[in-house]
Formats: sequence, C-alpha cells, structure tokens
Amino acid sequence: MVKPERLIIALIFALLAAGITLFAVRAQTTEPTSGISNSNCMACHSDIATEWQSGSHGQSLSDPIFAETWQTQGQPGACLVCHATGYDPATGERQAEGVVCTACHSPIPANHPKENMPIDKTPDLCGRCHSDPRFITENWMLSAHYKRDMTCSVCHDPHGAGMKSVTDAAAASPDASDLCANCHKDAMQNFPTSKHAEAGVTCVNCHLGFNVGKADVTDFVASHKAPDHSFIPTLDTCNKCHASQMHAPGAAMAAAAIAVEESGGTPTPSPTPVATPIPLVSNQPVPVSPFGFAGLAGLLGLVGGMVLSPWLEKLYRNFNGKEERSK
Amino acid sequence: MKTRLKISVWLFWLLGLGLLILLGLGAGVIVFWKGLSVTHLTDLVPWGLWITIDLSSIAVSAGAFSLCAAVYLLGLKRYQPVARTATFIGLIGYTMALLTLLMDIGRPDRFWHAVVYWNKHSLLWEVTMCITLYLTVLLLESLPIFAQFEWLKKRWPKLAGWMSRIHHYAPYLAVIGLGLSMLHQSSLGALYGVLKARPFWFRPDISVLFIISAVAGGMSLTVFASMLVARLSRRFRVDDTLLERISFFIGWTLVLYLYFRFWDALSMTYTYQPGRTEGLQLLTHGPLSFNFWVGEMMLGVVIPMVLLINRSTRENSFWRMLALLLVVGGVVAYRWDTNLSGLMIVLSYLPGEPVVEYTHYFPSLIEILSGAGVVAYGLLAFSLGVRYLSVVDHGAEDAEAEEMRKVKKVTAEVA
Amino acid sequence: MSQPKLNRRDFLKVVTVGAAAVGGAQAIRRAAASEPIPSGGRQWAMVIDQSLCNGCGYCILACRAHNDVPPEITWNPVLEAGQVAGKETYLPRPCMQCSHAPCVDVCPVKASTYRPDGIVMMDYDRCIGCRYCEVACPYGARSFNWKAFIEPNPVVPEWGQPEVERRPRGVVEKCTSCYQRIDRGLSLGMTPGVDPDASPACVVACPVNARLFGDLSDPNSNVSKLLQARPSYTLRADLGTGPRVYYLPAVEEYV
Repeated sequence: MVKPERLIIALIFALLAAGITLFAVRAQTTEPTSGISNSNCMACHSDIATEWQSGSHGQSLSDPIFAETWQTQGQPGACLVCHATGYDPATGERQAEGVVCTACHSPIPANHPKENMPIDKTPDLCGRCHSDPRFITENWMLSAHYKRDMTCSVCHDPHGAGMKSVTDAAAASPDASDLCANCHKDAMQNFPTSKHAEAGVTCVNCHLGFNVGKADVTDFVASHKAPDHSFIPTLDTCNKCHASQMHAPGAAMAAAAIAVEESGGTPTPSPTPVATPIPLVSNQPVPVSPFGFAGLAGLLGLVGGMVLSPWLEKLYRNFNGKEERSK
Repeated sequence: MKTRLKISVWLFWLLGLGLLILLGLGAGVIVFWKGLSVTHLTDLVPWGLWITIDLSSIAVSAGAFSLCAAVYLLGLKRYQPVARTATFIGLIGYTMALLTLLMDIGRPDRFWHAVVYWNKHSLLWEVTMCITLYLTVLLLESLPIFAQFEWLKKRWPKLAGWMSRIHHYAPYLAVIGLGLSMLHQSSLGALYGVLKARPFWFRPDISVLFIISAVAGGMSLTVFASMLVARLSRRFRVDDTLLERISFFIGWTLVLYLYFRFWDALSMTYTYQPGRTEGLQLLTHGPLSFNFWVGEMMLGVVIPMVLLINRSTRENSFWRMLALLLVVGGVVAYRWDTNLSGLMIVLSYLPGEPVVEYTHYFPSLIEILSGAGVVAYGLLAFSLGVRYLSVVDHGAEDAEAEEMRKVKKVTAEVA
Repeated sequence: MSQPKLNRRDFLKVVTVGAAAVGGAQAIRRAAASEPIPSGGRQWAMVIDQSLCNGCGYCILACRAHNDVPPEITWNPVLEAGQVAGKETYLPRPCMQCSHAPCVDVCPVKASTYRPDGIVMMDYDRCIGCRYCEVACPYGARSFNWKAFIEPNPVVPEWGQPEVERRPRGVVEKCTSCYQRIDRGLSLGMTPGVDPDASPACVVACPVNARLFGDLSDPNSNVSKLLQARPSYTLRADLGTGPRVYYLPAVEEYV
C-alpha cells in the first residue's frame, strides 16, 4: 500500500505541473481578435507589411524630401489628401499617417480572415491619388492595356509600390523594360538587333516617355508628373532625341545617338524566359560511347579467354603436332 | 593448417561484408536524414537503382515458392533439402527488398500505410499486401530452419521443438505461398504494364516475362548457392543429382523465357508508335544496348540456356555454376532495362504527334553504397545461415528424420 | 502416416486450383473497374485560350505564391507550343483533373481521390512518397518533394499569400485547382470563375484573361458557353484520361 504522505506529495507535484503547463499554453494561444483594425493587419501580414514599409506607399508621409517640402510650404492640407489615409479636409483629422492598408482595403469585413479584404483593382481606386493632372489615369484609359481589362496591379506591386518582378534579375534592374519584354515576347524578337537597342534605348524610353535617372525628385512639378501611361509614342517622343533631324536626317543621327548614350540609357534587357524548361531532356538519347563498349567487351573477352584457354592451348599443341598430354 | 586457413578466409569474408554493411548503413543514415535529394533520381526518373535491387531481390527469392510447390504440391519429396535452402534465401531476399523499399519511399515512417489504407485498384497496393503476407509465410516456413540453431535448442528446447513442428503445416504454407507468389511476381511486371502513359511498357506480357524470369532466377540462385557452399566447405553435403535435375529445368525455363521475350520484342518493331519504338531503340542500339544484348540476352539467357540444356556442360560443375550465376545476372539486368527504358523516354503531351525526348540517369554514390550495403547484408545473412543453421545440408533432413524416428521409438516403448 | 499420400496430394491440388481460380476471378473483376467517375452536381472545368496567352508566366508565380509551392516545383508550367501566323504560342499546363485519372488508380494508399466536383485531391498525410503516381501521369503534372522547403518563398507576398499548408519532404504534390479558394468562395456565396476570390489563382492572375474557370454542368456558365462557341481540344485525348482542362487553339485571326 502506498503511504498517504507520498500520495499527497505526488498530487501536489501533479497540480503544480498541470497548472504551470496550463498557464504557459494559455499564454501562447492567440485568441482571434474580434476586431481587425488598421494597426493589427501587420500581426498576420507581416511580409506584406515589410514590403510596404520600405516602399513609396509606406513612406509617403515620412519620406524626408516630402517631409521637408511639406514643412517649408506650411503643411498644406491638400497634400494630405494623398499622402495620408482618411484625411478629412473639414476637420483636418486623418485616420493614419501615410498610405496604410485601409487606404485601399476598406471596409474591413467583420469575419476576416474568413472573408477576404475587399479591393477594387480598377483605376478608380488607384486614380483617387494617381489621377490627372498629377498622375495618369486619363492617359491610361487610352492604352491598349486598359482596353484589354488590365489593371494597375498587372505591372505595379501595390504594397511595395514598385514594379512587379518576374525574375530575380528584373527585381534588381531599375528599368521596367524587363516586365514589358515578359509579355511582349514577340516584340523582343526583333528589337534587340535594332539600332535603337544598340544605342541603349529601352521600352520605357519611348513608350512611357521616361528617362530613368533623369527626373529630379526635388522638383515638385517633375516628381508629380508620371510617365505617359498610354504607351503610345508620339512625335514628341521621337523628338526627345531626334529633334535636330526633324528636317535634316543624316549626320545628325550620329550626334543624337551619342547624346542618348551619354545620358545614360540602360541596355536592352534580354527577354525573360518564363516557359519552364523540363529538366534534363534532350532530343537524342545519351550517346553510347564506343570506348565504353569496347572496354566492356574487352573485359568480357578477357574472362572468356581465360575460361577457354585450356582448350585453346590443347588445340594449339595438337596443331603443332606435339604429343597429347594425358589428363 | 588447412582448418586455420579456412577460418581466416571466413573471417576475411565476414569483415569484408561487415565493411560494406557499415558503409551501406552510413549511406542509409544519410538518406533518412537528408532525404532523397542525395540521389540522382528526378521527377522524370523517379525509380532507379533501389527499385531495381528491390525487384531483383524479390525475383531471386522466387526459388522458395517454386521449389516448395514442387515438393509439397507436386509430391517431388526428394527436393525437400533444396527447398529448404530456397526458403531461407527467399526470406533473406524479401527482407532485402523491404530494406531497399524503406529507403526508397519518400516517407519511410509511413511504410505501414499500405496495410491500413487500401486501394484495391492499385497494383502496387496488391504487391505490398502480397509481399507482407508472403513474408509472414516465409517466416513460418523458415522457423523450422531456425529451430536447428544449436544455441536455441539448448537454451529454449521447448520453443525449438514448437518451431520444428511448424514443418507439419508446410504443405498448407506452400499452397498459400504459391498463390501469393504467383500474384505478386507477375504483378511486379504488371506495375509497368498497366501504364498507358508509357507506350513502351503498356503491354500485357511484361507480367508473364517477370514471373518466368523470376522462377528461373530464383532457382538458379538457390542451386548456385548450394553448389558454392558445398565447394567451399566439406562440412556441407549436397546431392548433386537433385541440383543437376533442377538445372535442367532451369535450362528449359530459359527457353520458354526466350520464346516470350523474342515475340515481345519483335511485336514492338512493327509500325511506328511514339514512345514504344524509341524505347525499343534504347534497348537495341541506345545507351541500354550493352546491358540488353550482352547482359540480358547473351550472358543472361542464351549462353546459360545452352550450357544447362547441354548434358556435358550441365554435369560439369564449373560450367553449371557459371551458367546459374549468369542467369541471376540476367534477371537483374532485365529489371534494370525494363525500369530505365520506360523512364528515359519522355513523351511530350503537346498537341500533334507526341515528340520523344530522352533523359538520363546514373545512380549517385549514396545510392550505390546503400544498395551495396543491402546486398552485403543478404550475403552475410546467408553465410551465417549456412554456418549456423545448416541451410545447405542435404543430409540435415535425414538426420532430423532419424532423430524423430528415435524419439517416436522411445516414447512407443515407454507407453 | 496412416493416411495414404495420394489423397492428401489430391486434396491440396484441388484446393490450390480452386483458390487460385476464385482469387483470380475476384482480382480481375475488382482490378478492372476503376473508382466510379463522379457525376452530378458541379463539374469544374478550366478553359485556356491559346490565342490570348503570351507566355508571361504570371499564372506560374501566382500559383506558387497562393499554394506555397517551392521554386524548384512548378504546378503549372507554361510551355512553348509552336508558332501560329509567325507568332509564338504557349500552353500552360495545370493538372488536367482527369475523370479517369491514372494517378488515382495506381496510388497504393488511396492518397489521390476524386472529389464529387471533379477535382483530384491529394491527401498529403497519407502519401508515402512511392512516386508511382508520378510515373503514371501522362502529363507530368505531379512533382515529388525531394527536399524540405524551409526557406521563405521568394514570390510571397508580391504575387500572393499562401492559403494552404506547406507540404513536407517526401510527398508528391500537384495543382489542386485552388480548391481552397473554390470552397471558401462557395461558402461565402461567391461563384468560382466569376468572383476572383473564389477562382483559382492562375485564372485571377492572368493579365490577358486567357484562363477561364467554371461549372461545365451549368449550360449558362462562362466555360460552357465558350466551349460551345469555339472549337477546343484536350491534351492526349487518345489516352482516355478524360481531362477537364480545355484548350482553345491559337487561331490566326485572334493571335
């Protein structure tokens, strides 16, 4: 029979162990928060939050150049319409600093995460800030992309506010031409050997009227002027480089090419291969190495020769007329 | 002097096998730890050396069912000692197959799933179930062999006696074993044969070829092992007439195999079928051609067939042993060829006539080491069986029967 | 032995032959017929318009992000499919979700099963990684996890966020037609193929709307109407696998 004191001690230990475990486990289980608000998006969507924080959307209010300019201009409220979320001009109140999640994803559904956050991918939503005359929605509506029902997020990453990357190489390059080439593979068949490509002209130079590295971000007007998203090159586009040749082609061609090169045009990227190659296949089976065959056959010949040698020896002796050896 | 020499050869043999097993164990540990990325298997060739070893181990274990069926169902009682050897080899072979499979499946911890979760339409399920059940049958059939272990007889004589008495049920076990074996030996071939996606494999006669080659290979290994052991030590006696008769049978089995194989290959040369024609080309003049013509056909079938049917070579122990060893090699070569020829052909599924592309495969060092380790384990188990359980001893049965008769006589006198 | 040997031998022979006959007949009968093909209710199908597909590969990236697929594996590769009117055409290849799937027939543990709506489901907890389904699939749609995927997925969160668990090392995986999106969408009253949140990620991600998804048993669905209006083909129809992914061939006027 177990002594009662031992039993009591054992029970105390058991209760202690159970209690501590219960405490520890309770502390770890996160009860789903009943209300999802602005601040706790990041609790679940931490990777999106990281991208957002380092991008233009996340830094729309905290960006040093903006902050300085805004201060010097006397903190005008008009700026906050885009550079903050939920800005009410009447009261001067804003829901959040900078462009936050609820700027685009609102209203938050009661049963999130069961139900997705709403998002309007049409230019209406993006156009609230990115609209003419400051930005581009009217131009965009002229483009074939818009007419084929594409949205801004086909090329632009709305969270990191950069261009979408289809390969690692593209993510590193500042020029969005990689992305153009990814869909417009047919155009990339002939372009790389063209004179324009040799001069360092890329898709965005002509089709967006955009010279990378040229815009001065401290220039208020320039920094609020987005490239022409109609993607339709006009005479203006050609004249950016070929103005001197407008009525006199020839010798000025060289000068124009040099001018473009010196302004730092980026090299034409090669088309991004997205078609997934099947690994390890070829059109021919692995070639049979004649030496391998010969070597293996030689080994077999060696073995065969060793096995047959007694008889061959006998044959040889018989042929030479020597006496047969008795077994 | 001679005995001392023999012991050191034995030790040398054990040490060599032990080393291989250690290396194999190490390789196996790496496989379990790092996963199958240490092999050269790919999504295009997911089955390679291990599956070949697995198929071959099961094939050369087929001597067990065929010889036991001959003894207990056809009444050829005199072959009982050879059947005994074959049963032991069968047990080893199936355990080798299980070890290799354990490494090969992606989730070794789930090896038991096939026994619990059934899919009656799957041939692989049927093979797994048959192998599991047949392993049990083999174990039961082998228990009388283990009962001969001297140490066991001294330590637990009652258990040894009980194990011996299972021998009584040998005929029933033989029936079950025959049924199970015929099912899974041919199903292993049918595993390949039912896949419409692989035109080179998609034919009904692969299962027939597999079982015929298994019967030939299994019996060959048994006879070869018996002859080799008898030559290595005078302690173990074999009845050469039995072995010679079995070799004769093997010779004619090879004729049957050649007949089927000939028509199997010839029928595939008629009209172009994408995938099938290229598969045959791989065998006849592609990277598998040496293995096919020399390994499978010449050395594996034709030469042994001639050697075993021809009386003078069959009665000569050297030629007979050579022929039997070649048959076993041919069985392995056949399975390697079948597995790879289907997988190396990559048929495109794009519209239009399917385009054939080729991939390649060569086992990695880890695969080779672990495979060698498993084979070494098999050899070691057989060697220990020969040494301590007298699995190759055609006099053992007589001695046992003599003992049983003595015991009966004594008890009858007492009663 | 008191019994004559002949009797026992005969008995055994009869038993063997009888058992073999019965067993063989049973085996043939059961092995011949596959699982019943699901019918009735919704029947999901995907339609891919090759005239529109430009090979951009957004579908590959979206699929990888939403299903947490490792970079070495592609559930839905985009293959080059020759030229039409001088322009290169492409063929995205998701899992065909065959109605007579070889992978379902050959799995020894029934880890691959048919759902009533036609999707071929994978049970990653049952899969033992034998790779028989991988060998059996005529479309190469299945991939084995040779390694464990423990790194962060490079396409997350730019192309989407994972909606299903990562698969462990040693199991086979394949495209599931984003059943998780379909099921959740249906529970919220949405229509797969119409509402983006209820449609497979590849269908949503396609910038040129080359992929459509819908209920083939509904004659008024987008896929039904499209398949009635335009000629379509399936891959390796000669094999009799009954794929549920239909391709609209690239025709000169649309390309």
